[in-house]
Amino acid sequence: MSGGQQSYQLSEYLEKLPGTTFRKLYQQPSTAFAIFRRMLPPLAKVFVQALLYMPSPLLLSELDVWVRAEGKMQRDRALSILRSLHIIQITPPGKDKPQEMQLTTNFKNSLRLALEGGGSHNSFGVPSTLPVAPRIDIAHLDGYARKKWEDILHYVVNSVPAQNDGGGGVSGGGPKTSVKELLLIGRLVERRHDTQAGVGITQAGFTFLLQEANAQVWTLLLLWLEAADRAKGEAKGAANTDSIDMLSFLFMLASLELGRAYNTGALTETRRNMLPHLVDFGLIFIPREDTRQYFPTRLATTLTSSASSLRSVSSGFNAATANNPGDASSLGTTPETSAASKGSVIIETNYRLYAYTSSPLQIAVLGLFTQLNMRFAGMATGRLTRDSIRRAIGFGITADQIISYLASHAHDQMVRAAAATGRPVLPPTVVDQIRLWQLENERMRTSAGFLFKDFDSLEEYVSLSSYADEVGVLVWRSDKKRMFYASKIEQLRDYLKSRKKAE
Amino acid sequence: MVKAVRGVLVECEPAIKSILVHIDSTHHHEFIIEDLDDTHLFVKEAMLQVLKSKLEERLRETYRPDEPLEDSE
Repeated sequence: MSGGQQSYQLSEYLEKLPGTTFRKLYQQPSTAFAIFRRMLPPLAKVFVQALLYMPSPLLLSELDVWVRAEGKMQRDRALSILRSLHIIQITPPGKDKPQEMQLTTNFKNSLRLALEGGGSHNSFGVPSTLPVAPRIDIAHLDGYARKKWEDILHYVVNSVPAQNDGGGGVSGGGPKTSVKELLLIGRLVERRHDTQAGVGITQAGFTFLLQEANAQVWTLLLLWLEAADRAKGEAKGAANTDSIDMLSFLFMLASLELGRAYNTGALTETRRNMLPHLVDFGLIFIPREDTRQYFPTRLATTLTSSASSLRSVSSGFNAATANNPGDASSLGTTPETSAASKGSVIIETNYRLYAYTSSPLQIAVLGLFTQLNMRFAGMATGRLTRDSIRRAIGFGITADQIISYLASHAHDQMVRAAAATGRPVLPPTVVDQIRLWQLENERMRTSAGFLFKDFDSLEEYVSLSSYADEVGVLVWRSDKKRMFYASKIEQLRDYLKSRKKAE
Repeated sequence: MVKAVRGVLVECEPAIKSILVHIDSTHHHEFIIEDLDDTHLFVKEAMLQVLKSKLEERLRETYRPDEPLEDSE
């Protein structure tokens, strides 16, 4: 299992998929559209849009005319992302022929279909024609999704007293057993006998908790896809699920409209088998009395919107519901300011912290890095101390995560006072001290990767290291020793191969 | 021929680095693959946790942090 240290991100998962998987994925217009919308930086989007209706391949050299000389780095990064997602093809460099680029066939066709409409692909879901119970409105779906998701987060924070100790029994509250097992497999929690619930949070679990809601959902979904893949490999027949179909179903869910009923019958069997799990995660809602319909919740419809728009589940929900209760926007764009204005945490220059909240989840999260002293109705107080921060860092939380959590959950009094005086929201002394505490505890900053050495010539060293710099994987270099360190190896290996071919 | 070696890049202050180098030299050089510069080392991935705990041990012997003043609650 590779997800032990860091929690999963969609881009990392996608980068590891082979090209054939991408070809199949891009047969679905909704997938091509979702990847285009969520995964590409602005410049890459511009390239794709320009290439989309181009009848013949574009010379790579012509791209230089579009991009200013100082933007070469962004250009190369955009191209490398497009290539790793198998959106564009670039012909290998040769002596006789200049390099050309074009969109891959499936992606081009699907994105055109998505933009123009038409086709009988049903890729964007089939709405249900059956009558909808009046109680199922957007507020109901939001409440439902929030409860499900908070249950999962609670379980990770370990504040839900579960009755089962290590067995498969059903506990009083919290998520379903299958979800719990998934968290265990993903090593977000691990079995521990000294805690009340029998499980304890891991380093990856902490990172997971402090992520924004959107990233959390993806982390869990990708864990689930991997687990399903493995189950397929071990027991044939029992869970014969096609992970490609599963992934494109998730992308399809993201394009559905919040508050609308969709037809369960129009789904493939693989997708129908996914429904119970998605219900457990709170991504969709199926009314008990009528299982022919399913409703995507906000968790599902915001899957492919910009990741930074939701800071956390609760604040995201609050902001989203306060902003546009009627507008069932599947894009779910939530201004960050309104999410922050729902904050509840006051922190003073003397490291004292007051949280005006009665949410056990938020108090539990604060408890991860705060020494909480007193709890009243609707309020908890505590202090940030060297020990409390040290403990948090020992669990794998970074100072920046703590600071950004505090900043995004700051009470609107603090935000207003800061805006009036033109000062930062958090007291600078506290921010600096948190960073200092981290430095003191983390004497070594480490990152796994690859050291490149023993180059034959200076020219070889210079070309490979500057390529590494352009694609953004270069971390350290020494011209004197002719060595450099890169965080990833795949693109550099491809580069070396294509160079060798060209020679 | 160019080689790519898998491992962990460690970035730290020069003082910490010299402690790490010393630990390495008293343990049959089983941690460090390459001494990069004053603030960077390249170490074996499998040995990182051991190296970290050895450093912690060493620091505990010599280092007493000041606790900020407690105020009354």
